[in-house]
Amino acid sequence: MKEEKKSASGEGLVGGILFLAGFILALIVGWVAFPNLLYSEKTQPMNFSHVSHQDSACEDCHAFRPDGTYAGIPQTDKCKECHESPLGSTEDERKLVEDYIEKDQQIPWRNYSWQPDNVYFSHAPHKAKGIECVQCHRDVTKEKALPVYKENRITGYSKETMKMIVCEKCHAERGVNNECELCHK
Amino acid sequence: MKLGRRAFLQFAAGVVGGTLLSPIPWQLTDDSSIWSQNWWWRPSPERGEITKVATTCMLCDGGCGIQARLVNKNRAILLEGNAKNPVNRGGICPLGASGLQFLYAPYRVSQPMKQTQKRGDPAGFQPIGWDEAVKELSGKLAGLQSQGNAKTVACLTGQRPSSMDTLWQQFFAAYGSPNFFQMPSQADSLALAAGLTVGQAAPFAFSLENASYVLSFGANVVEGWGAPGRMQTVYRLWRQENGGKAATKFVQVDCRCSLSAAKADQWVAVIPGTEAVLALGIAHLMVKENLYDSGFMQTSVFGFEDWTDAKGKAHKGFKSLVLSAEYAPEEVARRTGVEAAKIRDLAKDFAGHTNAVAVWGAPQGDQPGNIYHDLCFIALNALKGNFDSNGMVTLTPDVPFEPLPDLQMDAAARCALDEQRLDRLQSQQAPLVGNGLYGFLDMVSKGAGYPVNLLMVHEANPAYSLMENKVFQAALEKVGYLVSFSSYMDETAVQADLILPNHMALERFDDAVGLPGVPYAYYAVASPILKPSQGTKHTGDVILALGKGLGGKVGAALPWTDYEAFLKKRVEGLAAAKKGAVADREGMELWKLQPGDLLEANYKDGADLWKKLAGGLCWYDGPNGALQKVETSSGKLELGLNTLVAKGVVAAEDEVYLPHFAQLPPAGDEKEFPLLLIGFRTMSLTGEYLANPPFMTKNLWDTVLKGKDLFVELNPQTAQSLGLGEGSHAMLKTPRGEVSVCVHLYGGARAGVVYIPEGLGHTAYDEYIQGKGVNANSIFEVQMDPVTGLGTVWATRAQLRRA
Repeated sequence: MKEEKKSASGEGLVGGILFLAGFILALIVGWVAFPNLLYSEKTQPMNFSHVSHQDSACEDCHAFRPDGTYAGIPQTDKCKECHESPLGSTEDERKLVEDYIEKDQQIPWRNYSWQPDNVYFSHAPHKAKGIECVQCHRDVTKEKALPVYKENRITGYSKETMKMIVCEKCHAERGVNNECELCHK
Repeated sequence: MKLGRRAFLQFAAGVVGGTLLSPIPWQLTDDSSIWSQNWWWRPSPERGEITKVATTCMLCDGGCGIQARLVNKNRAILLEGNAKNPVNRGGICPLGASGLQFLYAPYRVSQPMKQTQKRGDPAGFQPIGWDEAVKELSGKLAGLQSQGNAKTVACLTGQRPSSMDTLWQQFFAAYGSPNFFQMPSQADSLALAAGLTVGQAAPFAFSLENASYVLSFGANVVEGWGAPGRMQTVYRLWRQENGGKAATKFVQVDCRCSLSAAKADQWVAVIPGTEAVLALGIAHLMVKENLYDSGFMQTSVFGFEDWTDAKGKAHKGFKSLVLSAEYAPEEVARRTGVEAAKIRDLAKDFAGHTNAVAVWGAPQGDQPGNIYHDLCFIALNALKGNFDSNGMVTLTPDVPFEPLPDLQMDAAARCALDEQRLDRLQSQQAPLVGNGLYGFLDMVSKGAGYPVNLLMVHEANPAYSLMENKVFQAALEKVGYLVSFSSYMDETAVQADLILPNHMALERFDDAVGLPGVPYAYYAVASPILKPSQGTKHTGDVILALGKGLGGKVGAALPWTDYEAFLKKRVEGLAAAKKGAVADREGMELWKLQPGDLLEANYKDGADLWKKLAGGLCWYDGPNGALQKVETSSGKLELGLNTLVAKGVVAAEDEVYLPHFAQLPPAGDEKEFPLLLIGFRTMSLTGEYLANPPFMTKNLWDTVLKGKDLFVELNPQTAQSLGLGEGSHAMLKTPRGEVSVCVHLYGGARAGVVYIPEGLGHTAYDEYIQGKGVNANSIFEVQMDPVTGLGTVWATRAQLRRA
C-alpha cells in the first residue's frame, strides 16, 4: 500500500514535470519560433535614406493630391526632379537612375502599411484632426536604411500593417464613429 | 524511466495549455481570415492617383459625352456621363456604363489573324504581323483591281454617322466599287421618306424636348430610341412637374406593354402592325372636324387636295383618302382594336396641344420602317403643321465639313458605277434606291450578277445581329474572302479569312457626325482614353495604308498620314466654315435653338477647335428647317408622291401615290403558324455589334433569361389555349427556323402574339456570353419593302408547342 502511494506521488511529480515541459516548450514555440516562422524577411528593391532627404519637408514627397487623396510613396517622376542624373556614386544611386528613372519604371517598393482591399482608409480626415504621422507610422527622421520588410507568409501583408483593433481602439478613445461601414464599405 | 500513455497525455496537456497562452491560435485564426479574403481570382483594383479623361462614347450612334476614371493614368475603372455634354447631360446608359467590360474583355482579338484551315475553324487562326496582314489585303485588292474586278469588292460597316463611314466611301469610290453598305437602321427609311416628301436625303428629326404632347407609334422612346442619352434627357424634361402635372403628355401606341408603354401617361394597346391605320384614323378625325393646320396644308403641302401629276394624270389627294370610310373611327376601331371613343380623344388631344408631335419606330429597335407607314406618320405631323415654323419636325442637319479630295471622276462615271451596285442588278427593281443590303446579300447568295470576291466587315457582326441572319450566312458561302475588322472574336470574325482587329472604341480617335432623330447639328470627337492594350490597329489607318499600297487614284484620294490627321483636317474645315459653337458649360439647352439662328463661334481656329473637341467638348449648330430647302418638283412638301410617278411607278390605285396603310403579309401558312412573333428590346439587352456585357446580363430578370433558358412572353389566355404555363419549355417555330424557349405569362402581351427578347443566344465570344438563350434574329422573317427595297421587320408567323 505504502509502495503504491510512493509510486503514485513519483508519477505525479514526473507528470507535473512533463506537463511543465510541454507547457514551456509550447510557449517557446509560440512566442519565439512561431513569429520567426510566420514572417519571411524581404529586402526592398533598393535602399532609401530618409536622413539624406532632410532638406526636404515630408509633404514634398508624401503629398496629398488636389482631390484630397493621399499619394503615399512617391512615383519615379518625383525622384527624377532631383535625381535625373546620379547625385553620388553609390550602388543604390546607380540603380535608381539606370534601372528606374531612365527606363521610366516605378520602383516596386514593399509597402509597410498596405491595408487589405476590403478596408477603406483615407488619410485626409486623420490629418485634419491633427493626428501625427508617427502615431501610426514609424519615425523615419533618423532612418538611414529601410528596415527589413517582414511579410506574413499566410496573408501576404507586412507585419507592420495596422490591425483593426488598433483603429477601433483609437476611434473609441476619441469618441469617433466605429461602425463597420466606416471602413468596410 | 519508462514513459507511458499517461505521461504522454500529461505532456500533450502542457503543450495545449502553453499553446493557448501563446499567439499561435489567435494569430493563425486572424491570418486565415485575411488569407480567405485574398483568393487569387478576386479582382484587386490597382491603387494610385485617380484622374478623369473626357471623351465621346462610341458604343452606339448616340454620341454621349462621357468621362473615364483612370488609376495611375493606365487603368480605366469607371465610365460615367459628362455633365458638360448637352445631349446626355451627365447621364449614361447601361451599355455605356458597361463599356470597360469590352475594353478588358478576354475575347478581344489581340493581333491580326489569318485563317489557315477551313473557314470557321477557330483552331485554324494563325497570328501574323501587321505588315504582312496589310500586304495580304492590299495584294488582293490590287490584284482584283488590275483584273478589272474592283466592283467585286464589298464592304459592310456598322459605324454609320461618322468620318469612318466617309473614309470608307471615299476609298470605295476611288477604288472603283459601288458595293458599300451599312447595317440597317431606321434612318434608312426616314431618309428615303424625306426624299419623297421634301426632296432631301437627310433623315427627319424631332424636337421632342419642346413637345407638350408626344404620340409615339411603337417607338422605344424610354428604352433609347434614336440617341439613347438624349432620350434620357428628353424623358427627364417630360416628367418635370408643373403644378402637379407632368410637363409633357406622353402617349404610347404599342401592341405590348413595353417599358415605354408602362412609363407613358397613356398606353394605347393596338393590334400588331396597325399603328399606321390608327394614325390615319386620327388624321381622318382631324380633317373631318377641321382640327388641322389648314393654312399650312393649303400653302405648303402638295397632294393634300386632289392633284394632277407631271404626265397630266389626275389623282386622289390625301384628304380624300383619309376621309374615306376605310379610315372612319368605327372601321379603324375594328382594324386596330382601339375603341372609337378613344381614337376621338387621341385626335382631340393631338390637335389640341400646341406642340404635339408624332414619332414612330419598331419594337425590334433601330430598323427601317415600311415607307408607306413612315409617310402616314409624316402626314399626321403635316396636318399638325409640324414642318412649319414651330420646328417640331426638321431634318437632321449636316455638319459643314470641307469636301474631301476630288476623285477625278465625272458625275456620269460615278452614276454608271453606282448603277453597277449588285442589288441594283436585281430583276425586280424597287423604284427608290436606299441602303440595299438585303438585295445585295440575296444576289450574292444566288450567285447572280457578278461574284463577290472580297467582303470587308467593319464594326458590325451581321452573322449574329442582322435580322434573319441566315441571309448573311447564305451569302457568305459565296463570298470569296472575308475580312473582319472586329476587335472581338464575334460570330462574323470567327468565320473570317483574315481578321485585322480595330482598336476598341475607347482606345481610338473617332467621331459622331449628327445624331439620329436630334434636330440640332452635332459633332463630337472621341479621343483615346488609354493607349491600345492589344496589338490592334485603327481601321482608318489600315484604309489609309491600303490607299498608299494601291497608289494611283486611290492614293491621291486618301492623302492623310493617319486617321488622326484626317480628323484634324476635317475639324479644320469645320472651323473654316465659321458656323456653330462649342458647348463648353453645363446646362446648355440646345433644343431652344431655332432654324436660322446664328451662333457666334467661340473657338479661334482649327487647332483651337480640335483642342476643345479632343478634350471631350462638342460642336453644335441650329436645326435645319424641313421646308428651308424643299427640292420636290412642286416645291412643296409632297403627300402626293410625284417622285414615284417620275420613277415610272404605274398603278391603277391612287393610294399607291399617297401615304396609306400597306402592311406586308408575313410568309407561311396561318393554319400551321397561327401566332405572330414580334421581337422586343429591354434596357439591359443590346443586340447590335457589341455582345451583351455581363454587367447587363446580370440585370436581366428571371422572366427574360434564367440560366441558359430564354423566356418568350405570352398572354395567359393564349398560353392556356396552347396548354402552356409559366416556365413551360416549348418549341418556337417560324417559317425561318425553330428554337427552344421557355414561356413567361405576361398580361401586357397581346393574345395570339409571342414576344421574344433580342440580344441573346450568342455562339461566339466567351463562356460569360455564349450559350445564353437563343438568337431571335435566326427565326425572324425580313420582308422587302417594294418601294424602297429595304429589308423591314414587323412580325413573323409562328407556332409554339410544348417541348
